[in-house]
Amino acid sequence: MTDAPDPRAPDLRTAAARAIAAVAQRGQSLGTALPAQASAVAARDRPLLHELCYGTLRWHPRLAAIIARLMAKPLKERDADLHALIACALYQLEHTRVPPHAAIHAAVAACAALGKPWAKGLVNALLRRFQRERAPLDIALATDTSYRTAHPPWLAEAFRHDWPEQAEALMAANNDRAPMTLRVNRARGTRTAYLEQLAAAGIPAAPTAHSPDGIRLATPRAVSELPGFDAGLVSVQDEAAQLCAPLLAPRPGQRVLDACCAPGGKTGHLLELEPGIGELVAIDSDAERLQRVAENLARLGVHARLLAADAGATADWWDGAPFDRILLDAPCSATGVLRRHPDIKLLRRADDIVTLAATQARLLAGLWETLAPGGLLLYATCSVLRAENDAVVTAFAATRSDVQIRPLPHHPGLATTAGRQWLPAATGNDGFYYALLERL
Amino acid sequence: MAILTILEFPDPRLRKAASPVTRVDDTVRRLVDDMLETMYAAPGVGLAANQVNVQRRVVVIDVSDTRNQPWVFINPEIEILDDSRREYDEGCLSVPGFYEKVDRPEHIRVRALDRDGQPFVIAPQDLMAVCIQHEVDHLNGKLFVDYLSPLKRQRIRMKLAKLQHATA
Repeated sequence: MTDAPDPRAPDLRTAAARAIAAVAQRGQSLGTALPAQASAVAARDRPLLHELCYGTLRWHPRLAAIIARLMAKPLKERDADLHALIACALYQLEHTRVPPHAAIHAAVAACAALGKPWAKGLVNALLRRFQRERAPLDIALATDTSYRTAHPPWLAEAFRHDWPEQAEALMAANNDRAPMTLRVNRARGTRTAYLEQLAAAGIPAAPTAHSPDGIRLATPRAVSELPGFDAGLVSVQDEAAQLCAPLLAPRPGQRVLDACCAPGGKTGHLLELEPGIGELVAIDSDAERLQRVAENLARLGVHARLLAADAGATADWWDGAPFDRILLDAPCSATGVLRRHPDIKLLRRADDIVTLAATQARLLAGLWETLAPGGLLLYATCSVLRAENDAVVTAFAATRSDVQIRPLPHHPGLATTAGRQWLPAATGNDGFYYALLERL
Repeated sequence: MAILTILEFPDPRLRKAASPVTRVDDTVRRLVDDMLETMYAAPGVGLAANQVNVQRRVVVIDVSDTRNQPWVFINPEIEILDDSRREYDEGCLSVPGFYEKVDRPEHIRVRALDRDGQPFVIAPQDLMAVCIQHEVDHLNGKLFVDYLSPLKRQRIRMKLAKLQHATA
């Protein structure tokens, strides 16, 4: 016999299924969909809800391939929540230590909570069949790109085209959990001192290899556990992002622009590196996100002039005084940070890359006019696609006679025509692109 | 140990009555071990030998939250102690995904042999009392759906048939 469903268990799986379906079917970001569901579950269940949503989306292309294979006919559009529920259960069976009987039982129980008790048998049968037929399934799906790489085929194809030798390792890194990396605030202390503080707090950590300010934690923590976080001793920032501000090397008295600044990680870093910056103007198109920039800067004890504007529409916001340094961390596909934002695997479409590249080119051309002769512009993205990186920079440089591409010989990553591409590493940095341009 | 295939309603083999075990030997103990593994993997709280197509009077049960307190009942006999009854939402590994209220005697006593062939008597409480009755029904070729209205039983039969077809 089987026992009646636990009345408490369904909430968590139901909430996870709804959040995942909101991403997979309605194209919401997980950042929007998850908080909406998290509020409904008990506080003690939220960490697991978070883990289930992120994990299921991280492996979603693979899980969806399994579901398609196991179902004689696909689920109806209105049953996207059931699809999400099954995917979530498969994730637990494949990638977690949740006992299989618990994962299956909870998924079956969640059917009723989703208002679809008729699906209990279907969900149960499918999951049990998966358990029985894992090995033959693995063989049958061996050549299926979605199954093998857990990436949408168009994206796997784009990676293989751009990085034929690195594509498999790149995708494996994308399927990993992201590490948590800190940036020590130089204005408030040294990395060595903060490593000692972490050790005293019992938090294992190690210095990063390339960023002189970086510390990578052995396991992610809540920021509230970090000594001196509220006092601005450290910020959370990946090592790859920490390399931007040092490349621009701002000097005292200079006028500096951070063109797409939210959430303000690099804005703060620029000011920590050179407190004597004459003026730092930080722009973002989203006024709400600018509020977070203000909070971050206040915590670090630094100041910038914040503007809500479209950075590329210089006529709207530029006062005509040129900048000595410009950081253009351009909006992009975020294909270098898929492990942090796995919902992107589902949300992004091949067409988006064309649109994004057009926006990036427009921003670069617009901002160039605000750069002083002799000034430096760092074009950076967290994309690993050439179309958004080298292609944008070289196309721009080709139209102008006042662009000098600066080589980055000591920078980590792969050398490209115009800059450096750092690909995400399994237990290390995010994927990031850098090109440093000087105006002649 | 091995995970055995669980027969699903309306498989006619579930209707065959099981015959008593005459000697508790290694063959029976191997069956017990396989049934326990099958029950834990399924997952279920109880399993009768006919559910895995062995027509012997053998039942395994574990109703603990920790899933580490297995009970083995060989040739179980149930004695009803009084008229009190209770309802419980029962499900069955042979009727996957369906849960229905079943009304059964509340206070019972069970005599059986353990896996070493030693006789024992217990007066099970709560879920354990429900489960042993559910499993002994299996040994007699009876399923919990037999307690439901013919209409409900037919609906379950249709839905399961559809699922068995869809995932076959």
